[in-house]
Amino acid sequence: MSTNKTYTVPTYAAFGWLTFSTFLAVFGPLLPVESFRTIHGDFLDAKPFTAGHWFGVDSNGYDIFSGIINGARLSLFVAFITVGIGGFIGSLLGITAAYYRGRYDSIVNTAFNVVLAVPNLVLALALVAVLATNVDINEAVPTWRRLATLMISLTVVIIPILGRIARASALTWSGREFVVAARSMGMRDRHIIWRHIVPNVLPVLIAVGFLAVGVVIIAEASLSLLGVGIPDGASWGGMIARGRNDLEYNPHALYFPIIALALTVISTNHLGDVLRGRLDRREARL
Amino acid sequence: MAGSGYAHLRDSDDVVLALRDIVVEFRVGGGRVVNAVSRISIDVRRGETLAIVGESGCGKTTLGKAILQLPAPNTGQVMFEGTDLTKLPKEQLRSARTAIQMVFQDPISSLDPRMTVGEIVGEPLWIWGRGSEADREAKVRELLNNVGLDPELVLHRRSYEFSGGQCQRISIARSLALEPRMLICDEPVSALDVSIQAQILNLLQDMKDRYGLTMVFISHDLAVVKAVSNRIMVMYLGKICEVGSPDAIYSKPAHHYTSALLDSVPVPDPAYQRNNVALQGEPPSPVAPPTGCRFRTRCPAASPLCAAEEPLLREVAPDQFVACHHPRL
Repeated sequence: MSTNKTYTVPTYAAFGWLTFSTFLAVFGPLLPVESFRTIHGDFLDAKPFTAGHWFGVDSNGYDIFSGIINGARLSLFVAFITVGIGGFIGSLLGITAAYYRGRYDSIVNTAFNVVLAVPNLVLALALVAVLATNVDINEAVPTWRRLATLMISLTVVIIPILGRIARASALTWSGREFVVAARSMGMRDRHIIWRHIVPNVLPVLIAVGFLAVGVVIIAEASLSLLGVGIPDGASWGGMIARGRNDLEYNPHALYFPIIALALTVISTNHLGDVLRGRLDRREARL
Repeated sequence: MAGSGYAHLRDSDDVVLALRDIVVEFRVGGGRVVNAVSRISIDVRRGETLAIVGESGCGKTTLGKAILQLPAPNTGQVMFEGTDLTKLPKEQLRSARTAIQMVFQDPISSLDPRMTVGEIVGEPLWIWGRGSEADREAKVRELLNNVGLDPELVLHRRSYEFSGGQCQRISIARSLALEPRMLICDEPVSALDVSIQAQILNLLQDMKDRYGLTMVFISHDLAVVKAVSNRIMVMYLGKICEVGSPDAIYSKPAHHYTSALLDSVPVPDPAYQRNNVALQGEPPSPVAPPTGCRFRTRCPAASPLCAAEEPLLREVAPDQFVACHHPRL
């Protein structure tokens, strides 16, 4: 009767990498690593495995190892926060739409489809362009406002992705007979949603949430490449954007952020798939 | 329309549930409407078991749910103990309908896979805040005992650990938690093995006696119905064909549809010769039901009258009512 609990090596690796990078993200500032802003003028373009700079130094004199650790914090912070907020809003809309149906459902569903029809990056770019621009173009936009705008844009991208999944899942659960039974017993709608629908929809959302984290990390990196990512180019995407300029004579400045980014996205995608595959274990019976 | 009429309604003080001209329609897009239930009137006396019989898709389940206002009928009255449930404000309906509970066809789908059996059976008590936590648990244990489950063994398990028959027992325990006066059983044994069916039917009968329940028993299985019911209502495409006592209906069915249904019951005798051809084809679409009598497209006795005029229910024998222009007499 016990379900198959064996995981494969890639799953452990993915879980290990995410745990490790989350650890870096949370405890990075406490680690005995030099600030990523320190300029090492004597080590410009130092190759990897130089003593004291194991990942090398880029053309601006920034230590790449410090940059990776700091970037983990920013990239993961942005990804988890936006997926958290976007997922919450999206599933709130999706689940209530699926439960109450009717005109409200059509409106929510249409809105999701309209937003989904615009490619992620174009949408985020458009939102950043509109929200993070001052009327007076000579006045610089403050950093916090650029960061907030970026996160709002990415949240808007996430809402319909998770919202649609939540709606689809809630739709099947709302049709179950235990929901009809709960209503006949006099349970209030909000209690039915909270006690019967949400617990059943949640596992799917968590699984897809992992996939969404990957989407957001990529989107943020892409925006950084276009120059509108996390300000000061401190995220992994930002490091790639800066390193790109010196590609010919200092390619190692690109290797590490790219590897970190790729590992993270592959890990979240893989874990999302594994979780999604394991969800149906109860439903698979009968 | 076929199957309308009021000749079969009884005027009696002990009528608990009286349905009057119930209509349930669903929009299916493109401006089309499914006539799931078309002007059905029926009554149920206290302590009686009314069986609703018919093919899949004839509107039996919809009618059962319409009693609970899930969803409410488009038009018509649902008089339960003198109160019209269709007219009650939301909050009053919420408490009024706890007197009517339902047992569903799919025992797996009727239980939330994330809740323990204790939580499932105790849920109705939790909703209404009945008693303290300890009181509720005692009540849950008593209910589980009554339906033949050992509380110690099942209380903390989840529904997917149980067989269909056990799930149906849990479902019955839950439906009795609020001490309802009426139980609507929607094909409660169709999903179960034959050997388990008898156990569940006996359990329902026990519970009916113990709690003094009035039952509406929805089924397509005539053998099952014969075992449990006091009165049978045969439905076809959202209409009543025939209403009567089980004896009358089984010994001399007056409606051609009832007789075809009875003839389709398998007889465990290889030498048995059917004296009647089985029904041909599928029921017509409820989106565009036939004019007049809805059964005429498959009826062996159909005449031009059947297309022109809808037969009303009329008494053909004591306590046997049929909606047919050419009944089998």
